Amino acid sequence: MPGNSVLETAITIDTLEVANRTFITRFRSPKIACMVTPGQFLMASFPETSDPLLPRAFSVSDAQEETMSLLYVAVGKGTGRIAKLKPGEPVVMNGPLGRGFPDMKGGTSVWVAVGGSGAALIPILDRAARKTGTEITFYYGARTGAQLVNLDGIKNINHATDDGSKGFHGNVVEMLKEEMKKGRPGQLFGCGPTPMLVAMKKGFESQIQTYLSVETPMACGMGFCQGCPVRKSGEGDYYLACKDGPVFSAADIEFEVGR
Amino acid sequence: MSADLRVHIGGLELKNPLMTASGTCGYGDELGDYFNVSILGAVVSKSLTLKPKIGNEPPRVAEVSCGMLNSIGLANIGVQRFISEKLPKLEKLGALLIVNIAAKRAEDYVSLADALAKVSFVRGLELNLSCPNVKEGGIEFGTDLGTLSSIVKLVRKVFPRTLIVKLTPNVTRISEFAKAAENEGADGVTVANTYVGMAIDIHSRLPRIHTVTGGMSGPAIKPLTMAKVFETSKAVRIPIVASGGVFVWQDFVEYLMAGATAVEIGTALFTKPDAPARFLEGITDYLSKENIKRIDELIGSLRVNPENVPHLKRN
Repeated sequence: MPGNSVLETAITIDTLEVANRTFITRFRSPKIACMVTPGQFLMASFPETSDPLLPRAFSVSDAQEETMSLLYVAVGKGTGRIAKLKPGEPVVMNGPLGRGFPDMKGGTSVWVAVGGSGAALIPILDRAARKTGTEITFYYGARTGAQLVNLDGIKNINHATDDGSKGFHGNVVEMLKEEMKKGRPGQLFGCGPTPMLVAMKKGFESQIQTYLSVETPMACGMGFCQGCPVRKSGEGDYYLACKDGPVFSAADIEFEVGR
Repeated sequence: MSADLRVHIGGLELKNPLMTASGTCGYGDELGDYFNVSILGAVVSKSLTLKPKIGNEPPRVAEVSCGMLNSIGLANIGVQRFISEKLPKLEKLGALLIVNIAAKRAEDYVSLADALAKVSFVRGLELNLSCPNVKEGGIEFGTDLGTLSSIVKLVRKVFPRTLIVKLTPNVTRISEFAKAAENEGADGVTVANTYVGMAIDIHSRLPRIHTVTGGMSGPAIKPLTMAKVFETSKAVRIPIVASGGVFVWQDFVEYLMAGATAVEIGTALFTKPDAPARFLEGITDYLSKENIKRIDELIGSLRVNPENVPHLKRN
């Protein structure tokens, strides 16, 4: 939550390539690691260089005691730099930022749909569910099986691939629709590319309490620049993804369609 | 003994020349999460309009090489909510507050200035006559000498404290606009707002900013603004507030040498929200190593042969 975020020089522990161009980097980051909740994010910056200039937003993938991990697809200057950090190298982290998923209450069930680098949230959500005694099931989609990250030790993951190379043949929203014929969770969480979130809002918000973690360009992550608007439902007004989100109740927001 | 860092703009004494750039630190109170804002010379809050404004559609920001484009569209809570909700927080934080205001009509600038003149905690105004992203307003005002003069004149009548005019760099000779502001009684000019810029996503063929063009800021623009600060310093006697691409404390010293009295930190805050605290340390160290007793000795101290810049001769 705003007000509790800190700037911390995190120390790189190690980086593992876990799927095609997909990495998990672990950091020693005691201040942020002990505060972060599932769905909150941080901004990683490189204060010594002006290119890349802006800090990069990452959902925190896991946090335990003093260790925190990020799971990301290395696609640009910022993620490429993170992937190349050597053990012991420092990086400045600003976090935890934003509002994450609602607190889990034991004895309920939560289904989580993730797509692409949205898989980052699986470990931290799983940890929170185990801690609270919440029954959690993941539905994890990618284009092909090679892009799916193998997350050791986490059960209850159902896979979907567009090409049918692993798990359900189709996208994750189609898989969810099939599953819902058999039963429904107390809450539904979503984290992934915008088209997936749009389909989740359309498909499920009227039936199940649905929370979505949105992706949007962001410059500062702190509400300073007002650069990350997310449209409020039914109003000509905006939330800010960085302070009011990045997790929103699906009913509260609208996605911009076309431009 | 540490150096005297005080500088003056109109009747306002700043404890040092570090200011924040409007629109890069929210309303100013959010900065308090990262450092003690009372160390700043001044906090300049984001542009306020008479009525709240929701701002432009996304995407509003895009990174480019050593810089960024933005088109926020002056999203803000409006002057009344600012006074009731934000001012008490800023007061508690011990900030010296300069409020930036923007409008589409001359009379709205006057209403804003009038409302803020009544609040003694507002020590100064920065007139945004230069927003590149609001079509009907700012840019027109800021690129027309007559309009700029008439607005400054009207605001000057209702606002008795420090009045600074933020100029657009998107004109041929910024010094003419600075002179016009000086002639109408402005206490200082901010040189400058962002540069009109554009970037395209070659895969989708879409502009990377919803409004197609946006305001360019960041280290990439620093040399451009440096030249404008220098040009302006040869044309006016009122203090210049430099604003453009400061990234390390050395940039700050460079702007003072070019002729600025104070310097605003903007985009750098996104990467380094505690930058002002770090910059102050760097500058204090530098002054002590160079044995400089007063920071104002640096202002306009550039060693330059006037014959090398004949076009900038003061008339």
